[in-house]
Amino acid sequence: MSRGLVILAIVVVLGLSAYPPGEKINLGLDLRGGMHLVLQVETQDALKAEADQDMSRLIALLDSEAGVKGARGVLVENEGDGEDAAEDGAGALESSFRITGVSAANAAKVREVHGDFFNNSWDIARQGDDFLFTIKPPVARQIADQTVEQAMRNIRNRIDTYGVAEPVIQRQGFGGNANRIVVQLPGVDDPERVKALIKKTALLEFRLTHLPYDGQGAFPTREMLVETLKAENQGVIPPDIEILEGNALNELGEVAGTNYYAVARRPTVTGRDLKGARVSQNQFNEAVVNFTLTQEKGKDFGDVTGNNVGRGLAIVIDDHVLSAPRINSKISSDGMIEGNFSFEEATDLATALKSGALPASITTLEERTVGPSLGQDSIDQGLRAGMIGGGLVVLIMLVIYLLSGINAIFVLSLNVVFVFGALAAFGATLTLPGIAGIILTIGMAVDANVLIFERIREELRAGRTVKSAISAGFEKALSSILDANITTLIAALFLFNFGTGPIRGFAVTLSVGILASVFTAVFVSRWIFDLWLSRRQRLERLSI
Amino acid sequence: MQFLTDTNIDFMRLRKPLGIFSTLLVVVALAYVFFIGHLNIGIDFAGGTQIALRFQEQPELDQLRDLLNQAGIESPQIQRYGVESKNEVLIRTATVAGSEEGSSAALLGALDAQFNAGQAAGFDLNREGPESLAALLLRLDPSGLNPIEGADNPYVTVADEIIDLRRDRGLITEWSEVQSLPGVSPEVASAVEQNSRLGSYAILSVENVGPQIGNELREKGVLAVLFSLIGMLIYIALRFELRFGVGAVVAIIHDVAITLGLYALIHYEFNLTTIAAFLTLIGYSVNDTVVVFDRVRENMDKVRKEPLRSVLNQSLNQTLTRTVMTSGTTLVAVATLYVLGGEVLKGFSFILMVGVIVGTYSSVFVASPVVLLWERWVHHRRAGSAG
Repeated sequence: MSRGLVILAIVVVLGLSAYPPGEKINLGLDLRGGMHLVLQVETQDALKAEADQDMSRLIALLDSEAGVKGARGVLVENEGDGEDAAEDGAGALESSFRITGVSAANAAKVREVHGDFFNNSWDIARQGDDFLFTIKPPVARQIADQTVEQAMRNIRNRIDTYGVAEPVIQRQGFGGNANRIVVQLPGVDDPERVKALIKKTALLEFRLTHLPYDGQGAFPTREMLVETLKAENQGVIPPDIEILEGNALNELGEVAGTNYYAVARRPTVTGRDLKGARVSQNQFNEAVVNFTLTQEKGKDFGDVTGNNVGRGLAIVIDDHVLSAPRINSKISSDGMIEGNFSFEEATDLATALKSGALPASITTLEERTVGPSLGQDSIDQGLRAGMIGGGLVVLIMLVIYLLSGINAIFVLSLNVVFVFGALAAFGATLTLPGIAGIILTIGMAVDANVLIFERIREELRAGRTVKSAISAGFEKALSSILDANITTLIAALFLFNFGTGPIRGFAVTLSVGILASVFTAVFVSRWIFDLWLSRRQRLERLSI
Repeated sequence: MQFLTDTNIDFMRLRKPLGIFSTLLVVVALAYVFFIGHLNIGIDFAGGTQIALRFQEQPELDQLRDLLNQAGIESPQIQRYGVESKNEVLIRTATVAGSEEGSSAALLGALDAQFNAGQAAGFDLNREGPESLAALLLRLDPSGLNPIEGADNPYVTVADEIIDLRRDRGLITEWSEVQSLPGVSPEVASAVEQNSRLGSYAILSVENVGPQIGNELREKGVLAVLFSLIGMLIYIALRFELRFGVGAVVAIIHDVAITLGLYALIHYEFNLTTIAAFLTLIGYSVNDTVVVFDRVRENMDKVRKEPLRSVLNQSLNQTLTRTVMTSGTTLVAVATLYVLGGEVLKGFSFILMVGVIVGTYSSVFVASPVVLLWERWVHHRRAGSAG
């Protein structure tokens, strides 16, 4: 009797935790619909930026601290770029730059400056007349690590504003591959837009224009611009000027081709100086992005714009000029970015600006998006197959094993309750293969019962009494049941280890199903038989 | 109802002819897979992009192919799939050299250019989700609700309802479908109609696997199968004896080879779920075989001197009922899954179905004869080296 209570308690607990199934069971993306992304943060970008920055700093310090002029720096391209990196995946965590143009007499001063300011992060080596600076591995790893963490925070911010329920954003990989981020977004309908939002580097810069001076002229080809620029600057391109590609707008303000701009290399304002950004509408009812600068930067910006009335200010996003409006008067801290945006584009830009620029570019390694209608279809079909399959199995058991078959049916239903209960209780995810796993265990669940029943039949035939036949049947069948099911569990274990998402769901339901079927066959079946026996003291025949 | 009790079939007598038959089957299957035909390797392992679409009208596959070729996508594999009436198409492209990202953007761009050509860019009711629709309605405010900024969006429910309609149908083809929804007022319906469009296709699923991940999954898949085979061997060798382990492993290899051959023949896609199905097959086959071996061990303990051949026969006969029963019920369950379980699981359930049949056959006609063979061979060698 006490055994019965234990069993009942377990059933009730598991049953309740899974009820109602619609709410309590975690559905996988392949059933709910949604997007699964594996992103790779190109930490190499950040390392390169670090090298660039330190290289400039070194040259400046050589000048100011040691009076060494004329030094030049060149970034060293890694062999790890391109195809090798794709295969290797680990990505060479290397970064180096070369200093040239230093006379032999000044060599010692270079070492001095290195020792004073750069020894923590960079190793120095002489290469002929040049110096090679290589980043130290622990420093490189740290930078890579920070980059990934920052990218993750950034992506999380962007997705939060997008309003996805229960997103999953996790770091993945280890060792050389620790630069991966897994993103799971249930219920997402437009995968392209989400991907674009996540990958938007969103590097915003405002740069004063040189040509066209007021930002309004047209230079439809790069050559034209370069010619004019050279003509005005003694035949060379000044080093503090950069040429960027941008949009050409027609009278209606619509994008109608490309235009080239010569802008200052150093930005007046960057995305980091933004305090806020939001979507709004201008006087033509077009979507625009309103931004606010930090107080400190607002003052600087006011000074710069005040001194440059009449000049163009290029609004550059990811090295692309959106527009270059003319500065008509001093601008302090608020401004507007117009770019012929659709409402969605403006929203996404504001989101990206608010969350900040990504520290490195992001590559999508893997994407799986299941639309919700496909997911719903899968659930419907899976459930139908499960119920019909289960029904057929029950029928077979009844026909073959007669009344004892009812025992098996009861046990089978219990198994299903156990599996769903365990899924809900442990917060495991039900996937489409998982449903297949449940159906499979329904088919195999009867196995343990069959082993026991056949054994009981054998013992009866051998002449044992009903009571001792039942006893012996259970006893002798036990080792078969254990051995057989453990081997299947081994397979499930490897499945779990190897698989991702949907396959893990299958491994989980298979394992739980096996454990449940062993438990119910050994304990519950036994208990039912005992219960039945205890009512009939002298039993001649068994309906089996 | 009792059946197959007290049978006394001499299974071992058939072992030579059946052994030759089985070996032939395995050889033919493997030859087919590796030389004659080939496995339809899916994007999980080969990398690439796969998109499932539902069109408003049945598109011409050749036209689609030309369209994609023009967009610079080489040799796309295009096929119809699913129910005929739903106009569903599956497009698959290979990896693009030097890129992890794949062709989904280019593909969708080309499709948009062709199939949504008459429509200006803008809100696609067949593409966007309920949040975007709710945001759109909030801006337009057709019901004049004048919501305060920061308050809950009052249009969320009606947006959900409209998108649910699309999810049920897969695609909205007529504005009347939106208008006839109960929760949608005429103002909202007309606002939606004027400010959005009905794209002529909907995306059912998108999958893109870059070459890096494709490589990793291939490796992982092979290792998983290899290690689980080794794991089985070790477990059985420990619980029983080495000769039984050998018998079980040979039976597994037999099952996997034949199933693989049939799978390649029918040309189902070979993906991650396929590997999962094969691992399950291995698990089931061993399950079956172990039950027989368990009985063998028990019988051997009972009567020490009995020759192996007759113990094997006896055990097989004793477990025959159970073998047929369990295989029967499992087969019924899996066959139901194959027939009713939907397109996505077709390949998966096919493997399980074939696996149950072949696995049962191998538990009876392959595993035990191999044990006998091994025993005699080892015995022979020992006798040979001793004498």
